[in-house]
Amino acid sequence: MGYVAVKGGEAAIEASIERLKYERLKTGSFLSVEAVSGGMKALIDQVMSEGSLYDEGIAAIAIKQAAGSPEEAVFLVRAYRSTLPRKHYSIAAEPSSMRVERRVSACFKDIPGGQILGTSADYTHRLIDRGLCSETPEENESWLRDWNGREPEADPPEGSPSLDALPNVIGFLREEGLLPRLPIDDAEPHDVTKKALEFPTVRSERLQILTRGQTGAVTALGYAALRSYGALHPTVGELRVGMVAVYVANPSGDEDSTDDAYYVGEVRITEVESLVPVPVERGQGRTEIEFDIGYGACFGQNETKAIAMSILDQCLESGDKRYPTQDEEFVLMHVDSVEATGFISHLKLPHYVTFQSKLDAARRTRAREAGK
Amino acid sequence: MNRSRRTKILCRGSKGLRDSLSAEIARTHRILEIEAPDRGLVMVKMREAARHGLFYLGELLVTEARVQVEGAVGIGIIAGDEEEAAFSLAVIDAACNGEFPETSAWDELLIAEERRLESEVLAADRRVLETKVDFQTMDQEPE
Repeated sequence: MGYVAVKGGEAAIEASIERLKYERLKTGSFLSVEAVSGGMKALIDQVMSEGSLYDEGIAAIAIKQAAGSPEEAVFLVRAYRSTLPRKHYSIAAEPSSMRVERRVSACFKDIPGGQILGTSADYTHRLIDRGLCSETPEENESWLRDWNGREPEADPPEGSPSLDALPNVIGFLREEGLLPRLPIDDAEPHDVTKKALEFPTVRSERLQILTRGQTGAVTALGYAALRSYGALHPTVGELRVGMVAVYVANPSGDEDSTDDAYYVGEVRITEVESLVPVPVERGQGRTEIEFDIGYGACFGQNETKAIAMSILDQCLESGDKRYPTQDEEFVLMHVDSVEATGFISHLKLPHYVTFQSKLDAARRTRAREAGK
Repeated sequence: MNRSRRTKILCRGSKGLRDSLSAEIARTHRILEIEAPDRGLVMVKMREAARHGLFYLGELLVTEARVQVEGAVGIGIIAGDEEEAAFSLAVIDAACNGEFPETSAWDELLIAEERRLESEVLAADRRVLETKVDFQTMDQEPE
């Protein structure tokens, strides 16, 4: 059987694309890009994180264009990103430089600087608020005026650390000797967007793939590691959400000079360090508990993803292939949104010839068996 | 004032300040556009806290422009789609690189803008600190 070239379908495709617009507009209720920006912060954060491109405006347009589908919006953002030149690499942003907006620890009640709840849905009852159906612009403006005009109830206590200089919780455990003190490692990271992944991977590649991973996939694998496929139970040492400044070295100056660098802007990130108790054999049947650290960070406020990333980071550092969640090929090859949704989606594209040949083979086998 | 402090004030600060400093140079100097404001990417490098290594967090959309003023080259880079701001920043950068006499009065303006920005940030921080938990230990039954 030879291949048969076919054509046609252009008019049907045009009509199908036109229907996309019709479905978006048919109710007469048009969602503006500003409304997406203002009211869908969590989705914008998710799309920026999975799209690996930080720009709230582009994410908002992509969400509108994709009619709210995160996978389609991420595809659009990644496609847009591929049209732009990469002009610079930033100077390394240090976690200690974050201006914190939210910071909690599940390990310690009392942490220097305190537990700061910031903005979170964690403390809500998760009851549908039908009042949102009838809110008016006037009510909202009035609420906002009151909120903006309200003075804080009390000044921060004397000596309170500034929100851009909060000490890192795991730093205390290092000082106490419960975690190993590690030297600063300035090795240039590998970049998975420049070179195809080869196994075994290096740590910088693993973190880059996880940080741009699909939220659901990273969460599902992190959950699997917790439930039964990784035999561990981490505790969140610290979860921070806040703004990190981005600087670019002066191209015609000293690339290590931070004073001579260009400030470009800031990105909101979520950062997590999880502490994982690990039993260590000390000989003569003696076992001691040590703590390993899992690290997670991503663009935007994506807390579940960052925690799950920290679990998977620790799993992949352990690398015990008895557990699928510690097998780097299993984890890293399956968490990217565009790769996963692209491959699954391609199954609905025409496979007429390949399927026909399989069908022919099945028919021949049946015919042979019938003739016996 | 060093470049990182100056560019931080100008990127975060008011459009009015950027425009006025840039316009001051444009009034008396010819500005040659080497690279028109255009969008590009900055790959954000991050230090991770677990093992103190580096990795790439993702890319930040920026607008960048380059100009030349009286032989001095200036670069303007700013996050987002900000053509006008990138151009103004490049002109200001060129003037500072060329140590133009106009720039001698700028530190005062920049420091005043920095103070205004700091007070805004501190006010915002105080609102965030309203969500700081005040733990109270509950009474315990004597054993």
